[in-house]
Amino acid sequence: MNPDIYQIERLTHAYNGNPVLRIDALTVRPASIIGIIGPNGSGKSTLLKLLAFIEKPASGRILFKGVPAEPFAESVRFQVTLLTQEPYLMKRSVFNNIAYGLKLRGNGADVRERVMEALSWVGLEGDQFAGRRWNELSGGESQRVALAARLVLRPEVLLLDEPTASVDAASVQMIKDAVFKAKKEWGTSLVIASHDWPWLYEICDEVRHMFRGRFFGTCEQNILFGPWQPASHNAFWGRQLSDGQIAEVPAPPSPDAVAVIPSAPISILTEPKGTPAVCCLKGTVSRLIHEHRSGDIVATVLVGTTPFTARITRNAFRRSDLYPGREVFIEYKPCAVTWCS
Amino acid sequence: MDFITGGFIKAFELLLWGDRETYSAVYATLLVSTGSMGASLILGIPFGFLLGYHPFKGKRHVRTLVDTLLALPTVFVGLMVYAFLSRQGPLGEMGLLFTLRGIAIGQTILALPIVISLTATAVEAMDRHLRITLISLGANRRQLLFSSLWEVRYGIVAAALTAYGRVMTEVGISMMVGGNIKWHTRTITTAIALETNKGLFATGIALGLVLIFIALFVNVSVSFLKRRY
Repeated sequence: MNPDIYQIERLTHAYNGNPVLRIDALTVRPASIIGIIGPNGSGKSTLLKLLAFIEKPASGRILFKGVPAEPFAESVRFQVTLLTQEPYLMKRSVFNNIAYGLKLRGNGADVRERVMEALSWVGLEGDQFAGRRWNELSGGESQRVALAARLVLRPEVLLLDEPTASVDAASVQMIKDAVFKAKKEWGTSLVIASHDWPWLYEICDEVRHMFRGRFFGTCEQNILFGPWQPASHNAFWGRQLSDGQIAEVPAPPSPDAVAVIPSAPISILTEPKGTPAVCCLKGTVSRLIHEHRSGDIVATVLVGTTPFTARITRNAFRRSDLYPGREVFIEYKPCAVTWCS
Repeated sequence: MDFITGGFIKAFELLLWGDRETYSAVYATLLVSTGSMGASLILGIPFGFLLGYHPFKGKRHVRTLVDTLLALPTVFVGLMVYAFLSRQGPLGEMGLLFTLRGIAIGQTILALPIVISLTATAVEAMDRHLRITLISLGANRRQLLFSSLWEVRYGIVAAALTAYGRVMTEVGISMMVGGNIKWHTRTITTAIALETNKGLFATGIALGLVLIFIALFVNVSVSFLKRRY
């Protein structure tokens, strides 16, 4: 049996003494795709840098194929590669940027053919682009060249940090196709941090949600920030949303605490039930995403400007008559809310 | 005004007919500046890289010291090198006073802070994603160092050009350490100073034109290499 590609054990990391990451366990199986979703600053990029063995964790360990590894270790140097959110192209031609990793590996024989092939994977004409300098490319082209420089290595693990952020629609599709090709043809394991929920739900074997350096499991989480105030008519506390409705929560540990509402206990209804001790908010369906792995539908409902995410089974969705733009009501029990320290 | 115009005409004649004294000064200048630049680049680039790349205790103080040395007066460097190389100085036995090697040592001391400081500045300005990119493409520590240096090559070239400009045009070190000995340690700048004192503007202008030509040649070459690499 193949060992897991990654096994993370009690991993923590800090910058200048400030903790930024705390992950108790994570396993990445061979040829699997793990998606990571989370707001900016939640620790996604830090996690990817640790998985790429660019930085050494403050504590805990990362096993690569069952063996502890660290930066510059021979066991990982040529197996793992990371594409950062803002791709850096070296000050040389497109050809030399893509050939750099091949040359480090001593693959000098068919470099030209392989560079041209990698360019075609990301939808760039080899003859047209290979000779261009690094500063003669658009943002989308730079991102695609940077991806080609990783794909040409046919890596065992490809780590992608917001690969489709800040590029045009055509580039996004090219990047998605190339990533899928890596998994399908070479069995590459992928860890992708992205805000592109529909894409992640479509291709990932597992989607993890991060906030403040920690995983919140595989279920979508709704994060609500304070300040919270005691409600006048019941024992709950609440915060006024942009449309005037109040999101209710139990008594917070502090007025500025961050509330976490898992998506599973949130119900989407076309008419309010009026159940006691339940918070009911009126909103509009803004997005419906089909999760490829489970078949569930992940629905986002905008209450004012605040998005709430709920999960609906395929059968329940068939009966629900939900569509983007439809006015609905969401219900959750305030007692289901937890607090993020 | 006529003597200036006449000086330019005479200067072209000296250069075109290969005046031996003029070309001796040009040769001495090229020799010492090449030697001092070679030494200052070999020593300065690694030091500059370390200063810009690696955090260490007291880095800020070292940086302040190096930056202060950017303003080293050439006569002071000349004086100190003279003191060390003179018969009664600690290095007097080496017999380097009034030699081209002696001048090269002084010019190396002059160029070194420029190379170190400007290389460190170029390295500090390096994109923070470069390191991540190189490691993630499989670079080991040695490849990381050399690839990073290659990435800041334009900054290092700028450092070298600035230092070369200072070395080529200094008078104090060449005059004090070299002694301005005809056919031996007379450089372009010391020759210009001497010829001007003698009222012989033509030779001075000829040598000045050579300095400008060398500067032009170096910059055109660098510009060509920059386009190519």
